[in-house]
Amino acid sequence: MSAKPQPESKPEKSKTPRPKDVQHGVWNAQTVAEIKLKAETGKHRIRGCGSTRYFPTLDDLTILPGQLTRMPIDTYREDCKTQTVLGARYAKKPLVVETPILISGMSYGALSKEAKTALAKGTQYVGTSINNGEGGLLPDERDNSYKQVVQICPSRIGFSLRSIEAADALEIIVGIGAKPGLAGHLMGSKITEEIGKFRQLPPGMDLHSHPRHGDIFGADDLVLKIKELRDLTDYQIPIFLKMAAGRVREDVKIAAKAGVDGVVIDGAEGGTGASPVMATTHLGIPTLAAVVQAVRGLEEMGVKQEVSLIVSGGIKDGADVAKALAMGADAVAIGTGAMVAMGCVVCLRCHTGECAFGIGTQNPKQRAKLDIEKAAQRVGNYIKAMTVEATLLAKAAGKTKLANLEREDLRALTMEASAVTGIPMIGSNYTFGEMFGFC
Amino acid sequence: MVSLDVAEMNVREVNTRLKELMKAGEEVEIVNPHSMHNLATGIKGSGRIVVRGSTGFYTGGFLQGPTLVVEGNTGLYTGDNMGGGEIIVERNTGMNLAPSQVGGTVVVKGNTGSRAAFGMKGGNLIVCGEVGMRSGQMTLGGRMIFLGKVGADIGESMYNGVIHVRDPEVENRLGGNVTLQPISSQEEQEVAALFEKYGIDQDAGKLQSIVPKVYGRHDYVMFKPTHLSGRA
Repeated sequence: MSAKPQPESKPEKSKTPRPKDVQHGVWNAQTVAEIKLKAETGKHRIRGCGSTRYFPTLDDLTILPGQLTRMPIDTYREDCKTQTVLGARYAKKPLVVETPILISGMSYGALSKEAKTALAKGTQYVGTSINNGEGGLLPDERDNSYKQVVQICPSRIGFSLRSIEAADALEIIVGIGAKPGLAGHLMGSKITEEIGKFRQLPPGMDLHSHPRHGDIFGADDLVLKIKELRDLTDYQIPIFLKMAAGRVREDVKIAAKAGVDGVVIDGAEGGTGASPVMATTHLGIPTLAAVVQAVRGLEEMGVKQEVSLIVSGGIKDGADVAKALAMGADAVAIGTGAMVAMGCVVCLRCHTGECAFGIGTQNPKQRAKLDIEKAAQRVGNYIKAMTVEATLLAKAAGKTKLANLEREDLRALTMEASAVTGIPMIGSNYTFGEMFGFC
Repeated sequence: MVSLDVAEMNVREVNTRLKELMKAGEEVEIVNPHSMHNLATGIKGSGRIVVRGSTGFYTGGFLQGPTLVVEGNTGLYTGDNMGGGEIIVERNTGMNLAPSQVGGTVVVKGNTGSRAAFGMKGGNLIVCGEVGMRSGQMTLGGRMIFLGKVGADIGESMYNGVIHVRDPEVENRLGGNVTLQPISSQEEQEVAALFEKYGIDQDAGKLQSIVPKVYGRHDYVMFKPTHLSGRA
């Protein structure tokens, strides 16, 4: 008899941990979740705040300090002027603000009355301007603002001759960085009886504004529209034009030729109350690239010294301000940063109308949580601190005026930033591609 | 009546003069307008302006009180952002008539182009002839009366307001998010009063009303596969 075959003994289990496959590629958990949602609903996704993706930023630049080539200015005992004059090209009364940091357009509707009032009061602390955004000018905002910019939106909701008469400056809006080419979305959850009455909208019904002005169907018409607005305002106040950053170099030329006093360029980092995720993620170029393109366009037109350049989109601290000014901007505008100063945590849920901090909501219980005076003080503090940060850097670079910062004061920390901006890499006077003011 | 020959004047000079005259409630005749753009924009007051000829773009924009009569044609964007008063055009207008009108009354005796009353907020707009496509789009308030043939997608995405129409084919030209219904007796009376005021010989009872469908959100058709609709 042959011997019974013996079962093979199991190999001893390895004690070495097995590698765990984590999908970092295209089929990651986020991709899978997005597909499942679309498969279920057949719809694209709407979300608040703006993009969550990586963009090259102003942090990729550094400022060259003055040493022996330039003498630094004393941080604590010597002044660096921050007063900024915007829109003096044709306006008899340009917008004069005490800091080059403005508050950008955010609507009453997307934001609560308390948040708009706090932002307006915040402008009083530091002597800057607030912009009403789409949907009408809230009386509490106008009554409390230091300087009031009034937006002329395509929808013209809440807009009339009276809005113009209340303005220290006008801003014709063509697009915003968060959703360029698209118009305002205000979800029904925020359209209460009060907001509905203010905007002439049925309560609870989503608003999808249209992206083109009913009375500006092209750049040629814009020339006449601006003349009309000049006539209405007797050439007193500035007229700005806000655009999302796309073909910036060409767009600013058209705006300048149409006769604006200033252009506002909103980079792709810009925020909004609600937007299709596709738009925030895949439309437009970031602020870093947009500033350079705007400056190039205005310089090629020979109007850089006439037309004010205001940039927005992801501006968060004094370094961003200083660098934007060094690149050629005359001022910056902030939105998300000012909301964070009031308590926002950028939870990306503005579109739901539920905001635990009483900012992006119309829910009375949530609105009651926002202490207007405290929030206003925090907004003022934030802008003051940013302004001081910018002057600190400017003084270190040997400037007694913020406006004296220049592109020669900058170097790029990354090859990407150098290629995007035309600013030389650190430790060199060389760049990639098109130079930006260096030769 | 004050007569202004504007042939040698620029529009700023004309409008400055009109502002003074309308403030005083005068009646003014403008001759040789030569299709001037931006004529009579931002004028307040209570007077009357009669233009003997045709005007260009933005005629009567932001008007707030006076009556403006144009005996010829007007260009694009006539009555833009108008807040009050009257604009009466004896012949035709260009497209985008009275965009974002807030108040007052516009009467066009002839035809107009596409997108009449784009984003209307209030007031009355009467077109005795034809109107082009997408008229009354995104209306938030006010009343439109279109007595001739209407173009495609009329009333698209209205939120408020009403469009009265006589075109028997209108059902095939409705935009999204609106519905057609018989004119109510109160509306009929109000429209008849407007007809009488502006000398329009029409029967208000023969009109139908386009009103918004108001519910949770507008429906948009963003994908239109032709193989399902059978359309090329």
